[in-house]
Amino acid sequence: MNVLATALGHVDYLVAVALFLIGAWILVTSGNLVKKVIGLNVMETSVFAFIVTTGMIDGGAPPLVVEGMEGPYASPLPHALVLTGIVVAVSITSLALVLILRVKSQFGTIELDEIVPTDEVRGAEDSDAIGGNDD
Amino acid sequence: MNARRRTARILAFALLAALAGPLIHGVLQLPAPGSADAPAHANVSANYVERGAESGGAENLVTGVLLNFRALDTFGEVIVIFTAWLAAAAVAGTGSRSGRRAIPVSPVVDYVIRALGPFIAVFAFFVIVNGHVLPGGGFQGGVVLGAMLILLSLVLGPAPVAGAFSARHWAWLRATGVLVFAATAVIGLVLTGHLFGLPSEPGLRKSLMIVLELGIGVGGGAVLAGLFFAISGTDRA
Amino acid sequence: MSPTDLLDLVLLALLLTGAIGIAMLKDLAACAIVFSAYSFVMCLVWAHRGAPDVAMTEAAVGAGITTVLFLTVISRVGRREK
Repeated sequence: MNVLATALGHVDYLVAVALFLIGAWILVTSGNLVKKVIGLNVMETSVFAFIVTTGMIDGGAPPLVVEGMEGPYASPLPHALVLTGIVVAVSITSLALVLILRVKSQFGTIELDEIVPTDEVRGAEDSDAIGGNDD
Repeated sequence: MNARRRTARILAFALLAALAGPLIHGVLQLPAPGSADAPAHANVSANYVERGAESGGAENLVTGVLLNFRALDTFGEVIVIFTAWLAAAAVAGTGSRSGRRAIPVSPVVDYVIRALGPFIAVFAFFVIVNGHVLPGGGFQGGVVLGAMLILLSLVLGPAPVAGAFSARHWAWLRATGVLVFAATAVIGLVLTGHLFGLPSEPGLRKSLMIVLELGIGVGGGAVLAGLFFAISGTDRA
Repeated sequence: MSPTDLLDLVLLALLLTGAIGIAMLKDLAACAIVFSAYSFVMCLVWAHRGAPDVAMTEAAVGAGITTVLFLTVISRVGRREK
């Protein structure tokens, strides 16, 4: 009973943990690179949700100071951290997507299982094209 | 292959189950969300809430934290997104280009986006320049600006949007955030003696903050549009 | 239980549904769309928790830009996951 009450009180955190684990599951088990990046985004969002939740306060106002308003304010620090985090996350995502396009044009597939066997062949071709001195 | 994948799944499940235990145990030790004694409300954060509006120079405490108390972090972050664009453009530039045209869109969507475009731009600038009093600021307005540019390039095709400026001008626009921030850091050093220090005179501080927000917003929007151009294989910029 | 708590629970349930949906779907374009919806629900959650700045950014980035980037890439690499 007590455990249940604690769990219900912490349901926001528990959902963030669950989302993190689901995101990690997608990242680890999916063989498709785009799907992996989507999983990574789910993980990132869950971490942001966790951080934002630590900053919330019951009955608290958003951290905008208004003249004559006393009430508790949500903590601005987690919000600022998450804000920079979101913009960095979109940079990471787009860089990963550009690399995925490169993988596609190099190997013709974005499935991990299909990339691995052709790896050596393609690598040899590449070094031939450059001059292939490193053999 | 199928058997290998099944083994991988079982292993992954075991790993994540092992990870779930400590994570759940850990979050249950934290004070319940919303309680006032949570770590996020103590120490430095409490100080920001108490005195942030005066010493940070912004009624929106988040903006105060971003531009003043944690300016170095924000500077690093601006550098990160600029570098991300540099890397994306470098990788995309070496790949094969598909000179693909924009997919034709329904006339209704086309008309609505064209009509909405200017309003979204005005909203983005409103959000940027009012970042110190209202929810919003450089990043928030910048991403709205970037979203508008991407939306327009989806409807009109990327060429007219990417061609609005030359590749050189786009590069300067994308560097705006970094350059303006670096300039402000030096101005702060001259005026107050600390790097990133903002002058205590309210009028000057406010205008400096708005310039900073505009730099971050324009730079961020241009970087996001640039990332989209890199991914969609638009030739210019 | 107050109505706002109930709203919170409904939004959290939607988030979990969205994440599980992404894990189970095989169609990448569908995954991207569900991710967009997931981001938008996340944005509502944050607005509800007193973080309007973060919610605004997430609405533009997560539900907008990231989805467009995913769909652009999927249109070039194929939408079927094997």
